[in-house]
Amino acid sequence: MQLSGLEMRILSEVKKDRWYTPEEAEEETGMSRDAIVRGVYSLREKGLVELDEMERISYELTEEGKEVVENGLPEERVYRFIEEKGEVNIREISKKFSDEVARISLGWLKRKNSIEIRDGKVIPIRYPGTEEIDGLKKVMSGESLNNELFAVLKKRGFIEERKAKELRFRITADVELEKEDLIGDLNPSILLKKSWKGKKFLGYDARIPSFVIYGGKIHPYQRIIKEVRKIFLEMGFTEIKGEYVQTAFWNFDALFQPQDHPARDMQDTFYLREKVEIPRDIALRVGEVHETGGMTGSTGWGGKWDIETAKQLVLRTHTTALTIHYLAMNPEPPVKAFCIDRVYRRESIDATHLPEFDQIEGVVMARNVGFVHLLGTLKEFYMRMGFEVRFRPGFFPYTEPSVEAEVYVPELGWIELGGAGVFRKEVTEPLGIKHRVLAWGLGLGRLAMLKLGLKDLRALYQPDIHWLREVPVCLW
Amino acid sequence: MPVVTLYFDELERMVGVSREKIIDALPMIGSDIERIEEDHIDVEFFPNRPDLYSVEGVARALRGIFGIEKGFREYITLNAGYTLNVDRSVEKVRPYISGMVIRGIKLTDEVIRSLIELQEDLHWTIGRNRRRVAIGIHDLSVIEFPLKYTTVDENFSFIPLDYSYDMTVREILEYHEKGIEYGFILKDADRYPIILDANNEVLSMPPVINCERTRVTESTTDLFIDVTGMDESVDRALNIIAVMLADRGGTIYTVDIVEGDRVRTTPDLSGREMEVTFTDVYELIGTELGKDDIRDALERMRFDVKMDENRITVRIPPYRADIMHPWDVIEDIAIGYGYDKLTPEYPSVSTVGVSHPWEDFKEALREIMTGLGYLEVLTFTLSNERIQYRWMRRNEKNCVRVMHPISEDHTIIRTDLLPSLLNILSMNRHRALPQRIFEVGEVVEDFRNRLRLCAVTVHSEASFSEIRGVIERVMKEMGVEFDIDNGSDGAFIEGRCGKVMVEGREIGVFGEIHPEVLENFDLVNPVVGFEIEADRILSMKSGDIEMIF
Repeated sequence: MQLSGLEMRILSEVKKDRWYTPEEAEEETGMSRDAIVRGVYSLREKGLVELDEMERISYELTEEGKEVVENGLPEERVYRFIEEKGEVNIREISKKFSDEVARISLGWLKRKNSIEIRDGKVIPIRYPGTEEIDGLKKVMSGESLNNELFAVLKKRGFIEERKAKELRFRITADVELEKEDLIGDLNPSILLKKSWKGKKFLGYDARIPSFVIYGGKIHPYQRIIKEVRKIFLEMGFTEIKGEYVQTAFWNFDALFQPQDHPARDMQDTFYLREKVEIPRDIALRVGEVHETGGMTGSTGWGGKWDIETAKQLVLRTHTTALTIHYLAMNPEPPVKAFCIDRVYRRESIDATHLPEFDQIEGVVMARNVGFVHLLGTLKEFYMRMGFEVRFRPGFFPYTEPSVEAEVYVPELGWIELGGAGVFRKEVTEPLGIKHRVLAWGLGLGRLAMLKLGLKDLRALYQPDIHWLREVPVCLW
Repeated sequence: MPVVTLYFDELERMVGVSREKIIDALPMIGSDIERIEEDHIDVEFFPNRPDLYSVEGVARALRGIFGIEKGFREYITLNAGYTLNVDRSVEKVRPYISGMVIRGIKLTDEVIRSLIELQEDLHWTIGRNRRRVAIGIHDLSVIEFPLKYTTVDENFSFIPLDYSYDMTVREILEYHEKGIEYGFILKDADRYPIILDANNEVLSMPPVINCERTRVTESTTDLFIDVTGMDESVDRALNIIAVMLADRGGTIYTVDIVEGDRVRTTPDLSGREMEVTFTDVYELIGTELGKDDIRDALERMRFDVKMDENRITVRIPPYRADIMHPWDVIEDIAIGYGYDKLTPEYPSVSTVGVSHPWEDFKEALREIMTGLGYLEVLTFTLSNERIQYRWMRRNEKNCVRVMHPISEDHTIIRTDLLPSLLNILSMNRHRALPQRIFEVGEVVEDFRNRLRLCAVTVHSEASFSEIRGVIERVMKEMGVEFDIDNGSDGAFIEGRCGKVMVEGREIGVFGEIHPEVLENFDLVNPVVGFEIEADRILSMKSGDIEMIF
């Protein structure tokens, strides 16, 4: 029997008939783990070692589980709401939270004897137990917990199973270690002295796994953004960028959004305390169009337009704040501009809503373009992204006609991916923009989720390093 | 946006086609179907079409689209001398009012439900939560004309809806459910709007509550409806309700609104005219539709159409609140014609693609970092003072604070990337080491975006010399002259922190993260990292770069 230096070293330094994990052998022999694993696999081939590859099951917190540890159980929030109100209608709870959260939370609150439900009214009794959270902390630190609690955590989707292979080995046979001179690792001395000549090389089994290698790579979402960027650059568009902080003027007023429009509410927009000056002559022209339509042939919104409201700073709610400002600075045709960048909405964070996300924005301003050219541009873009597209009427305060674009996804059917339209005259005329402007703002997150097979938008901006390492560079 | 529940039996009866055809047609007139159930469908209509917030309105539009009934639907109004006098004192608090009388309407459950839902949706949309427009519905039989719209002080009292005893205005605003909900609209008022009849009996205190006396019951057949508000939208809301009730068989009587020596008669259902040139139609749509097609499309959208050589004159239905400009009519031509029938055309506008220098530089930085074995991450720019400064052992910077944060985690826009990356390491404690991650991202200082490059490494032997080697390589790849000097920064261990100088100016910091910081982020392995002000390097090389503000 031929044995390599590595194999012989393992056989001579590891005790016979005792089970070892590679880590234990590493400690005992001082050899590297990788070398030991490589050695024992080849020793098994020779019948000298018995291997035991056990599947070890461990448990980990799901996204939901982690959120519970951070923010508490959903039923705690619901309970606090009920307690605050004294007693509440079930429908009120559904309204405040969601149907699903209300249904699940009420179920658990009842089970925990925390509430009573009478005639559709929910009455608080006592604060719900939070043993799930203690349990989750134990799972995180690898402590054991009782079966009952374990089953609850599993059932509620707070933890998930992870299977990992664990290797153990045992030397089974005494071997007369015949010293045969096989070359294991090559080194400069062997090469310089040419001492390999006439000797045999130890053969390695290519089927045996070696250690895992991770490379550096760009974020998969960034790769999709890059693809979109490439498409617009190829189509002759100029890339623009701007500040996250914008005035309400460019974010709303310049786009003919009336000052009492619900989208401008504190409810939906992140406002800053500060105001900054805006160009007065442009502002007054825009204000006049809001009030009376000015020279645009429109009736305007009526009422009074307030320049102070327009000076307020906001975190931009759409990148249209940039394209409209860019057009105002470049009013001569042709202009083709795009941007792919961050926008902000005052939304609670969950699997499908984020307070900040990225948007694709674009405009075409030229002589002799109209609505069908907007449709043509969108069709071309989506075709290059690999999607079939269809159009139906939409509504945005600053475009007319307005359109919603939907793309076809085999598993899901037609999915709404963005809005577009021709900027209203009430938008372009006070800013001195000379021609019709085709404009669109398309969602990117949803498109990325489809391409990357994600179910939770948060995974894009709070990445799991394991996922980043494993998601392939090439997605087909 | 309001979601309207439409029952199939009603809708099929009123439109005259099957539910399948209706379901197909709804998105093509501008709506999102929320869900389809056995007996009904929930549809979200856009805020520019409040006339579609009732089954009557949807049926009216669909009959047009299907070509069953085309053009302008005429509504007849009668004048029986109903009068409402407006006192000047309302000007300061709620200046606009319009009204109408409906007679001979059968208030079936179906009609009541539709009317109340329409009223609520109008309150929300055009009404801006009753601030701009509020609608009151009353039993005509207990009302004596002429009416008076005036103001009263806070001690004035009447029996509000759902109560059996008198309450003063002040008590209503303080204790009545609706007073608490809508009192904010009147919070600056010292006199309060009120509608009285000829016997000084109260009809309502808009926009808060009606009087119990004029409550509508199943046996009511004649109604008085008032709409009060802050601008001309009151007439738009009134028209929408008028045609809805007329479609249900009610007869509409106008009310003369007398303001000093001016008299307005409401509702006015005659319809405005608007002119649109063919040139405008062709240019905006981008293609030349046939004149017959244009006429047909407009008539399907319920306009009356006259055409001459150059222009189209349309009569706009009185319930269309959204037609502000000829382009609004042109959109209706496109919708009536059918978006699906328009042929998309790629515009032949010849321009050259130009990328933004920041984005190009970001690409280069990504190449450098991935080449060094680092994994790119993206993170949120919203952050908080705790993570950005306290946990980092750093002084607070002058950062952008949002006024009404939605959670404690998102109160400011970050001024540094390093905390975001430590946070990602913290979330990935259970993943295999070593971990090397970087971000090319933006932070905000003095309301301006700044471009940064940041990288961190965590493993049991992460060391100062490792990160010094990395940053030196990064700087060399950036192709700039630089010096490395000793630095000091609370986030790093004293004596294990370096700074990067370019043209005599500090543009970056690196080192071994302080154990207290690691503890704050729940990290149990050593971490080394760096952060560079990438935009400064770019500006030194390329000059000023355009950022839109």
